[in-house]
Amino acid sequence: MTVTTEAPTAARPTTAPAGARLSIRGLDVSYRRGEQVLSGVDLDARAGEILGVIGETGSGKTTLARAVVGLAPVTGGRITVDGEDRTALRGRALREARRAGTVQYMFQDPLRSLDPDLTVSRLVGEPLAVARIPKEEREGRVATALDQVGLDRALAGRTPGRLSGGQRQRVALARAIVTRPRLLLADEPVSALDASNRNHVLRLLDRLRHELGLAVVVISHDLDSLAGVADRIAVLYRGRVVEEGPAEAVLTEPLHPYSALLAASAPSLDPAHRADLALLRSPAARPPAASGCAFAHRCPFADADCAPRPAAVRPHPGRSAACHHAPDWRGRLAR
Amino acid sequence: MPAATPTPERPALTVDGLHVTVGRGRTEAVRDVSFTVRAGEAVGLVGESGSGKTLTCRSVLGLLAPGVAVSAGRISLGDTALTGLDERAWQQVRGSRLGAVFQDPGSYLNPSLTVGRQLAEPLRTRHRLSRTEARRRAVELFASVGLRDPETVHDRYPHELSGGMLQRVLIAIAVSGEPELLVADEATTALDTVVQAEVLDLLDRLRAERGLALLLVTHDLAVVAEVSDRLLVFYAGEIVEDGPTAEVVAAPAHPYTEALLRVASLGDRGRRELAVIPGRPPEPGTAGPGCRFAPRCAYATDVCSAGPVALAPVAPAPVPGDHRRAVRCLRAAELALQGAATPDRTEVPA
Amino acid sequence: MSAVRTVARQPVAKAALAALALVALLAVFGGRLAPLDPLAQDTAHILQGPGGAHLLGTDYLGRDVLSRLLAGTGLSVVAAVEAVGAAMLLGVLPGIASVRFAPALTWVSLRAVDALMTLPFTLFAIAAVGVLGNGLHQAMLALGVLLAPLFFRVTRAAALGLDRAQYVEAAELMGAGRLHILRIHVWRKVLPTVAVTTAHALATSLLTVASLTFLGIGVQPPAPTWGGMLASDLGFLAQQPWAPALPAALIMFTVGALNLLADAVRDADPADHPADQAPDQAPDGTASGQGAGTPDRSTDAPKEKADARRHAHA
Repeated sequence: MTVTTEAPTAARPTTAPAGARLSIRGLDVSYRRGEQVLSGVDLDARAGEILGVIGETGSGKTTLARAVVGLAPVTGGRITVDGEDRTALRGRALREARRAGTVQYMFQDPLRSLDPDLTVSRLVGEPLAVARIPKEEREGRVATALDQVGLDRALAGRTPGRLSGGQRQRVALARAIVTRPRLLLADEPVSALDASNRNHVLRLLDRLRHELGLAVVVISHDLDSLAGVADRIAVLYRGRVVEEGPAEAVLTEPLHPYSALLAASAPSLDPAHRADLALLRSPAARPPAASGCAFAHRCPFADADCAPRPAAVRPHPGRSAACHHAPDWRGRLAR
Repeated sequence: MPAATPTPERPALTVDGLHVTVGRGRTEAVRDVSFTVRAGEAVGLVGESGSGKTLTCRSVLGLLAPGVAVSAGRISLGDTALTGLDERAWQQVRGSRLGAVFQDPGSYLNPSLTVGRQLAEPLRTRHRLSRTEARRRAVELFASVGLRDPETVHDRYPHELSGGMLQRVLIAIAVSGEPELLVADEATTALDTVVQAEVLDLLDRLRAERGLALLLVTHDLAVVAEVSDRLLVFYAGEIVEDGPTAEVVAAPAHPYTEALLRVASLGDRGRRELAVIPGRPPEPGTAGPGCRFAPRCAYATDVCSAGPVALAPVAPAPVPGDHRRAVRCLRAAELALQGAATPDRTEVPA
Repeated sequence: MSAVRTVARQPVAKAALAALALVALLAVFGGRLAPLDPLAQDTAHILQGPGGAHLLGTDYLGRDVLSRLLAGTGLSVVAAVEAVGAAMLLGVLPGIASVRFAPALTWVSLRAVDALMTLPFTLFAIAAVGVLGNGLHQAMLALGVLLAPLFFRVTRAAALGLDRAQYVEAAELMGAGRLHILRIHVWRKVLPTVAVTTAHALATSLLTVASLTFLGIGVQPPAPTWGGMLASDLGFLAQQPWAPALPAALIMFTVGALNLLADAVRDADPADHPADQAPDQAPDGTASGQGAGTPDRSTDAPKEKADARRHAHA
């Protein structure tokens, strides 16, 4: 008699491309029954790569990152980091995995995610203290992390309230990399910063992923903060990935009408772009449909074809879009 | 200048030699700021946090925090001097002749009243309208700011509306008193890209339709570059450059403006080395006697820090005697600064 | 701890601490400092005014008032501390832990606390003494049980706000255990609240000791306490109208100092205390740059804390 026990490795999704550090397959998340925040999300992030996730408020982009670190109720699908299933982790195993610090999540607002009473050195050293790393080693690693994010060591004795916004964000970043993670999820890391500080932090992320071989997922509602650093961009709309591909291609030749609307909505010096924008906006509001294409209710190109849920089409290698009209909406725009 | 201005000679807003001090030490946070906004004109105030743009805007609105005071200068709305008004007079001006929208619309609305009521109540008291009449006007206003299904929105509470809708509600309230000037203080900063574009379009439309004077305050150069006619660049409490937006953006005269443009990288969608401005702005009261940007400026020489630098017309003026552009830089004439790249079209319509 | 240091810098707090130190000294050494035996009856000099051999006069049995006041300090203070200690033990830890209780347990504990809060101090103490026997410890334990809900509610409210704090979530993401989170993140935020409650509770129990002794509960007659003296002196108002003022003054002195200290602790927010922000404060642009003109984001943190604390008091 042969008993076949499925080894955990066998359950690993075969569709994950080789070298994918983070692999998300068919992820469903819902906080309340019947209300799916994320639905059937597929995403990959490779080592040394920055994946931008862009979407509007309520698109589920923060939930996506929280699901990876176990802070959102996953109701279906699988999340693996280096082949290791993260969704199945519970209790002690989850705590051990968190202490190892291979996956780090940077909260959106460092003012809230950094304890206001602790000094920079204690904040940055906290993940190490939790992992019971001896004090001497801790100090060295904290100093290294501060150097890596370009923070003056003289600031180590300050509390977050006495730092600038840019400095606080770098403290949060130092705390995230002090555990030498393999995957970093940054939730709106620059939305509260002005342009110069924003670029500063983005450049840091860009440098660190090379230095540390990190896979970085940057979540943002702002296309400009992704344009310069992201290798690939995934566009999220109402809990679904509507388009994914190389950053520049997605931003300049979007395949999905929503990505096109996003790209055209970013401020531009070109007066002509407003005309494009008008063509991409829906002429009349419709209530969102419960099924089918998530964007149909706002889409100027939507018609009866959009009633079923669109499957991802891949017109070019490395690019995908979930739109029934991906091949032809552009042609109708010219009219 | 899209809108025809009835009286181009008399600006809607005049700020003349404004100085603002902060704290008990009376540190000067805004120094000698002068500008005008004409009816139908959109003027953008841009600069990093702490540049004085927000204090200038708050001075115009008479909403300075305790301890912050206008120490010198005049602000007038049309013919009315705003500096030195008492609180009652201020409230009358703010309710009708001066409208304002801010970054966080939710916090300016009463959570326990429907948004329609919050718009209709002032209409009723100001214009002595009946309840139904006020409701009709409110619904009209909601429709005019692009709120879809304004009848339904009228009976919603603030928490039932999205950030973009709330901002439209606030704009409707701001324009309900038929103001001469609308101040938008980081009004689109917290909004999603798509909604931000819609709200900017709305402001632009209101300006054109109603001949509103628009004062836009933001740290995002891209936003003002898109909608303002005139750009004022603030640095460390001073105006460092002043001129028509298109000209300033295409050929900045101040190194700081150049740096801001480089950092904003307008319309550039490719992977690139992101620019930063090294260093930090000086704390209020700690600036040296000379150019305040000199310590961070790539073009600074010893003369720059030696003595005060005046805001002077850009030379050579395109037209003799044309003072439309001014810059606070000693080396403006000799520097050839890089403007924003010629707008490369986003390939939307292929 | 910075909060303690900040408190200690305030002049009001300094004065209050000095006063309390004096009371503590009296509590420890009062008996030895007493010039005469507090129990010795000088029948020749009953109800005598101040002066002569008896500096502050004598009571109705001819006992030396000064000696009784000094010797009574220890018993009065120890009793109050005992009650508050019991209250803290019963209130603080369950209060913090209750944040993680199951909903049913939370409901039960809250209702139990509500029930306890409806009971009047004195009656409950009388009942407890009736069951457990008349003694100071029994009475103080009863008082402690009644004061516990105060600590429970205050710490629960503070901990509830903190449980949803993002830095607590961040610590959980690091794999931190409950103990680490309590010790590093929660305790510091709850401490000022607990300190304020403690000061108020100490004052309350000092007064309750006085009123219980007044009723003859807890303290056995010959042993001197402030409350006991106040009680007996009131019986001889006609002969010595000024006599109750002496123990009353001591009680007021201690309670007043405690209240001042409590206020100082509540007001001392390390984040917004000016002396705490050294002149090198000057965070760059993004934090303080807007100056006082705009609602600066960096002020949110202390405000949030103050809110949490206000919430805790509500």
